[in-house]
Amino acid sequence: MASIQTAINDLRQVVGDAGILTDRDELLVYECDGLSVARGRPSAVVFPTSTEQVVACVRVLAKHNLPMVPRGSGTGLTGGSVAFVQDVLISTARMTRIESIDLENRMAVVQAGVLNTALSDAVARAAAAARADSGTTLAPGGLHFSPAPSSQHASTIGGNAATNAGGVNTLKYGVTSSHILGMEMVLPDGEILTTRAGALRDGIGPDLPGLLCGSEGTLGIITRLWCRLSPRPQHFRTVYAVFSSTPSACQAVSDVIAAGIVPAAMEMMDGQMIRVVEQAFGYGFPDEAQALLLIEIDGVEHLLDDELNEIVAICERNGAQEVRHCSDPVRREELWQVRRRTFGAIGRLHTAYFTQDACVPRSKLAEVVAHIVEMGKQADLTINNVFHAGDGNIHPIFFFDDDDPDQITHAMRVSEKVLEYCVAMGGTISGEHGIGVEKIALMPVMFNPATIDTFQRIKNAFDPRHRINDGKLVPSDTLRIELLTHH
Amino acid sequence: MTDRPAHNTTVHVDRLDELVKLVRQCGQSGQAMVDYGVAHGGLGHPPPAGHVRLIQYGGVIEHYERDFVVRVAAGAALGDVQAAMASRGQFLPIEAEEDISIGEIINHNVYGPLCVRFGAMRDLLLGLRYVDGQARDVHVGGRVIKNVAGYDLTRLMIGSLGQLGVIYEATMQTYAIPRCVMSVDLSIEDPVAIDHGMPLWLVTDAAPSWLCLHRQANRWIGQLGFFGRGSSCDVQLRQLETLLQQMAGVHILGASHTTLATVRAQGSAYRRWRRIAAAMVKIIVPPAVTGQTCRKLVEQFGPYPLLSIDALPSRGCIWVGGALDALEAMELDQLTTPLLTAVGGVRVWHARPTDGETIAPFGPSQADWPMLEKIKAAMDPRDIFNPGRFLPAQEPAAV
Repeated sequence: MASIQTAINDLRQVVGDAGILTDRDELLVYECDGLSVARGRPSAVVFPTSTEQVVACVRVLAKHNLPMVPRGSGTGLTGGSVAFVQDVLISTARMTRIESIDLENRMAVVQAGVLNTALSDAVARAAAAARADSGTTLAPGGLHFSPAPSSQHASTIGGNAATNAGGVNTLKYGVTSSHILGMEMVLPDGEILTTRAGALRDGIGPDLPGLLCGSEGTLGIITRLWCRLSPRPQHFRTVYAVFSSTPSACQAVSDVIAAGIVPAAMEMMDGQMIRVVEQAFGYGFPDEAQALLLIEIDGVEHLLDDELNEIVAICERNGAQEVRHCSDPVRREELWQVRRRTFGAIGRLHTAYFTQDACVPRSKLAEVVAHIVEMGKQADLTINNVFHAGDGNIHPIFFFDDDDPDQITHAMRVSEKVLEYCVAMGGTISGEHGIGVEKIALMPVMFNPATIDTFQRIKNAFDPRHRINDGKLVPSDTLRIELLTHH
Repeated sequence: MTDRPAHNTTVHVDRLDELVKLVRQCGQSGQAMVDYGVAHGGLGHPPPAGHVRLIQYGGVIEHYERDFVVRVAAGAALGDVQAAMASRGQFLPIEAEEDISIGEIINHNVYGPLCVRFGAMRDLLLGLRYVDGQARDVHVGGRVIKNVAGYDLTRLMIGSLGQLGVIYEATMQTYAIPRCVMSVDLSIEDPVAIDHGMPLWLVTDAAPSWLCLHRQANRWIGQLGFFGRGSSCDVQLRQLETLLQQMAGVHILGASHTTLATVRAQGSAYRRWRRIAAAMVKIIVPPAVTGQTCRKLVEQFGPYPLLSIDALPSRGCIWVGGALDALEAMELDQLTTPLLTAVGGVRVWHARPTDGETIAPFGPSQADWPMLEKIKAAMDPRDIFNPGRFLPAQEPAAV
């Protein structure tokens, strides 16, 4: 304890009184991330504002041999940024400087705590200023930072990179790692690792930024990123289709992909989820609706109507009861509100739930979704589905009574069975949320011993003393955090 | 196979168990396993004496047609994969010579003009199986579009120059062959015009599906094209014409409806010089100075008429070289140094004249190389795979 108190005093020297939290009440907020069943109170939370301060904090903790956990906004969903062994949280949330925006090279340099949407907003302002300055239509513009996880208004770009976040647009535009050119990371011994920095789209040798994306804070603390900016789509068509059967809607998804159309988004909710939304907001969905599909295409304006007509025909051919579509931004926003309000609707009706995350081959969606609903029935659990259908990225939502520990454990066990089933269907245990502590017990389901050993060797190359975020993502010999035994 | 492969032999491997056995034998005997590919033999430091050269089986293992995903054996030639995909109306959006294997493409991060729309292997590769330095079968990624389980070793292997393991299976995304393809040739007086024009093209309806720049007979030719449906390519062409009215020195030489196969064949013809060049270096610069760098290369190296240049402006990638002797190649190397220093670029020599070994194959050195050495030691502790090609040869570690 003396060591922790001494370390806290040393950390205070680095970040000042305003840059550290140690009060038990204040630490309460940092006990969990979006996975509320995984809780652990940190010894302290520090808020460095620069890479140099992160280095100094890490060196203090290394000197005192104390474990550390990196954290962005805490919007993760797997317990990956939670301190389970009284670690010190190092939050990058105050590292919010957008250091440069280079429109010509379609690149921005940001500190890790910059919010996802803040970058795109800043890019839009920079482009407008460039247009005004040049007085010519040739000024570059219309760029944005493409990754759009659901948490994008709250999540940091460092966190997006650490979890390789996805979102609704990944079908066409890829996950976060496709948009990170390089990064700076503070290693667990306080050294600074800079990978391919700058505007370069290629480098020499193995793709290290590709490895660091999705490493969930287990290799170091991301402090700065070189972000690729992409053309912001200008023209859209949005299709909304209601089906009386989930398999029919899934078949429509599969048929759209098979037609060679690559939508910007293809979102689905199942019948139970539709009823939850209907109950909360009264959109007037048909009583017999079993699936709602929201498809958006973007691109060359002249091309969109052809694709739209083909999508509408596919939906109708698969028995859609109702198909609406639009091209105007106001109506588009109304249609998207249905999707965006799903979790708000859940919150109005249920106090406790968790969202699972897996990815399966798109051609197997219908079979997988039907099977998961059946698993819920057999386990006497309510499981609703809202998901990124175009990616095959499913999000079964498990409801439970959080006053009943047995029910929590039961829901988590069923959720593990669902993930095992997804792996058996050719899928993965995580499409976009990551592993954290939530799924670490399932890593042997997904990977053979040689692969897990390779992950451990990579971890050891960066963090030989297991100082940072140990027990997350990679099964560890030194620390096992098993959520199911906690309940 | 014998218990110990003979020195300087070439071993054909058809099955995983054969590959595992070979890696185990090489690990035990301390022999290097070498696979530089058919088109990258001159890239990096030469292999050590007494090595075993590897040639792997290739072929399409499974095409998940409705998922637009294909799984192939790493020795599969790109041309064979494309032919198999074409028979199902699909293609792999990677442009390279047809005899290059998928494993070679991944190991060397090979990409072409289609990267402006489809990206590179980083954006297409979904899963890998490889044999590591301890002769173990490692599976990473899978066949789904999104996958964040475990460290992303698929991306780490891209561009690894075969130093981290022997890839024997790869799973990748495919796309539908476009219904309509239009090819446009541009005459460009000054390649700097591309630097100015590209940021705008990319954010308008004139955004191309492929884009490249060549220097031919002292002229700059831009090639780009559109993929679409119905008449959309014509609409894109009209948009491009409008844009070019505002750009001096760039003119459309010709535009025509064509096919993906024709585009691919033309690209192959343009790239042929790279395969036979006595000296060739790949330069990576920030995209917005691609044209400017091309111009400086010609201005400063101009007296040599045999200098060929290809560039991918959206990626800042330039291949420059030709029938240069060792002195000329060294002069080119020295010339690129200040150009790269000024813009933070890098270079990789793909071919050096036989007496031009003093040219460093990579440069300038990068800050992350020491960490890459640690990763190499973790994944290939006996330093079996292409030792010393890029990362320096190591003292074999205890396993």
